[in-house]
Amino acid sequence: MISVDPMLLVQNIVNGVFMGLIYSLVALGLALIFGVMDIINFAHGDFVMIGAYLTFLLATSLMVDPTLTVFLTMPLFFIIGIAVYKGIIERVLGAEPLIQIAVTVGLLMVLRNLALMIFKAEPRGVPFTVFGFPINIGPITIAASRLVAGIVSLVALFLVHILLTKTKWGIAMRATADDREVAELMGINVKKVYAVTFGLGISLTALAAALIMTFSRADPYLGLLYGLLSWVIVAMGGLGGVIGVLASGLIIGVIEAIGISIVSAGARELFIYLTFFLILWFRPRGLFGRR
Amino acid sequence: MPKTILKVVDVVKRFGGIIAVNHMSMEVYENEILGLIGPNGAGKTTLFNCITGVYRPEEGEIYFMEEKITGLPPHVIIQKGIARTWQKVRPFKKLTVLDTVSVGALLRTPDVDKAREKAMNILEFVGIEKEKWNRLGTEITLIEHKLIDLARALATEPKLLLLDEVAAGLRPHEMDRLAKVLLKIRDEKKITMIVVEHVMRFVMGLSDRIVVMHQGRKIAEGLPQQVASNPKVIEAYLGTKPL
Amino acid sequence: MAKPNKILGIPRRNFYGIIVFALILSTIPVLLRFNTYYVYLATDIILIASLVAAWNIIGGYAGQLDLAASAYMALGAVVTGNLLALYGITPWIGIPIGVLIALSVAVAVGYPTFRFGIKEVWYALLTSALVVILSRIYWLIYGSAETYLPTYQWSWFYLRFSRYEPFYYMLVVMLAIVLWTNYRIRHSKLGYYLNAIREDELAAEALGIDVRKYKLYALMIYATLASIIGGIYVCITGVVGYRNFDPWLGITTAVMGIVGGLGSVEGAVMSAMILRTLEDYLRGTIGAQYPGSHLLVYGIILILVGVLKPEGLASLIDYVKKKIPWLRS
Repeated sequence: MISVDPMLLVQNIVNGVFMGLIYSLVALGLALIFGVMDIINFAHGDFVMIGAYLTFLLATSLMVDPTLTVFLTMPLFFIIGIAVYKGIIERVLGAEPLIQIAVTVGLLMVLRNLALMIFKAEPRGVPFTVFGFPINIGPITIAASRLVAGIVSLVALFLVHILLTKTKWGIAMRATADDREVAELMGINVKKVYAVTFGLGISLTALAAALIMTFSRADPYLGLLYGLLSWVIVAMGGLGGVIGVLASGLIIGVIEAIGISIVSAGARELFIYLTFFLILWFRPRGLFGRR
Repeated sequence: MPKTILKVVDVVKRFGGIIAVNHMSMEVYENEILGLIGPNGAGKTTLFNCITGVYRPEEGEIYFMEEKITGLPPHVIIQKGIARTWQKVRPFKKLTVLDTVSVGALLRTPDVDKAREKAMNILEFVGIEKEKWNRLGTEITLIEHKLIDLARALATEPKLLLLDEVAAGLRPHEMDRLAKVLLKIRDEKKITMIVVEHVMRFVMGLSDRIVVMHQGRKIAEGLPQQVASNPKVIEAYLGTKPL
Repeated sequence: MAKPNKILGIPRRNFYGIIVFALILSTIPVLLRFNTYYVYLATDIILIASLVAAWNIIGGYAGQLDLAASAYMALGAVVTGNLLALYGITPWIGIPIGVLIALSVAVAVGYPTFRFGIKEVWYALLTSALVVILSRIYWLIYGSAETYLPTYQWSWFYLRFSRYEPFYYMLVVMLAIVLWTNYRIRHSKLGYYLNAIREDELAAEALGIDVRKYKLYALMIYATLASIIGGIYVCITGVVGYRNFDPWLGITTAVMGIVGGLGSVEGAVMSAMILRTLEDYLRGTIGAQYPGSHLLVYGIILILVGVLKPEGLASLIDYVKKKIPWLRS
């Protein structure tokens, strides 16, 4: 039987909660795009990876804290998102589903291998951050960077929720997500909504990447992990909006934490994949298309 | 006494807060053409979908040839002998006309060559010329689509055929052509049909009996002339084109 | 319309086409003057062509974006390889066992995802991670050590040879079998039903087609072929280890299949041969300095084909067929 130190378990779970918040942020972009446009961007995780490298480059060359880079990376990624939408996604909207998915796989291959070619396989970390100190709450220790990352993620989730429910754009997005034809009939420029949604979804990955870089390192295979995480969360949260994503993200974070405690850190992807697998078998709410 | 082939008993289907089918009951007799009419939103297509297994009714039962079929999935329903055509034509765009109908025939005839032969016979029966058989689903006119849809459904050797607004979008002479084929199906193949329709001219002239639905339930039933002069029916249709 | 003449369940034209193609391929080692290195390359290309042609069944006919070709191939490889290396069991028994393992995994992945109404994308996602996950599992069980297959100079019983030529011809036969399987499906109830499913799942259901069942049939046939190919592959390389699980091969197989044109097995084979040769060339030249450059090229090609010419090479083949009427099948 595997023996687990209860203190270590609690510690890991606390970490897991904060990681879960970050995972929710990463998945949020994917959920938005999936909800509004019915497209799963295979390359979503790799945008996080590119964002991480970008954060690394900007932070080290401008000598600023990685979190500050978002002021540059988020707008940039928004534009990139719209460019990717217009250049690739929009052109395959009418094609068969397999092709639609395939082009995002192509995008994944391009992004991941560009990173491999430029940065090779060694991870790159930003060696400094304002939040590089531990915080002690009773017997639990948590890195300030993770705490801040978790809080910022929560705030971002909240802001997106406000955007979706209270602003004109958000309502347009939800209307389009609900019923594209009716939205068009109501005068909503669906293509514009799609472009903005995609841009927003991608810019959120830049935010998540910057936060991740305060306590982790960039490597070309980040996309694998974060992509997997995003899909599982979307599969779990279904179309439950921001709340669904948040709840699923937290659950995943905790499951991962428990998994790390029991087995080892290397089994991370395994646990997440297993969760994905089990959801698929027993509770595929989020998987059914609109019909 | 005509034999009942389909019995709908007290069926209820809800979508969230809306009741689409509200305690609907009716009987369909063997070898008749039953017209199912009613204003928009009366629940006709929803009822169709309940019968064919696309939806599962919340309450009530549906019996086909004395067997309970409520809630069975579509591919089982058709095995039992109920086929349907679609409101918006659903052609197999990248397949040829012959291949399309062959797919239907394969249900009862697993051998591909025999299925193709059967498909050819049915295409002849509904009146699609040989030259068109190798055309793709994208190269066909609307009336031909409808006949091919029909042929595809006939290829599954149904005992009951449900036709969802077949006449929509057709010109008068095309409607006549379609009506002739439907009568042929009733007389030569002895297949029972339920025809959901909005085009009065078409359904009134074709049907042996009419059932009128309004707001999810049956409000009238009888011979076409009887139903046409029924005040309840006229009231339900108030504002639409006169018969 | 005359009843089409069939041999072994496929149209005459296709049957003779396969024979002729196989005969042409058989001359290659002779033309290469039995040069070990070139024959090895040729063997590799035939192997990949078989894999992509098998992929056409799940990708082209069933319309599912399967990214796990290398998973099923690797399962076939490691099962066959380990059975031979550790227990001395001949691949003639090992390969069928590998097929059973691959089938179990395939069904485990396909059964829940092929439920009616579930979007295709989830199958693609599951399969994309499948290879990596399996490789991790293998690594957790066996570690990073690699096992070597026993060497035999010339053994048909253990499928170990000191030259590549026997493998080459085995794979030509395999390719012929995969081609035959493709044509056989195309002209069978399964093929017609898969076409209908790809066109319109809802209408297909209404015609009595159990969508999940037929997708699973296609998956199982493809996984069987892929794992057999893997079993042969391990006998060629002689090594078993977690590295048998190539994470990119599954994706590149799908890319080759898509570029070839979904549903066209001829396109799939053509595309596999062209792209694999290109890949080997790239890997040999700039690949050392820029690892992954060939994958970058694959990615760009995939995006271009998807956006500009999703019908792939098949449209080119159709064009040629139109110009030469007696080729039309």
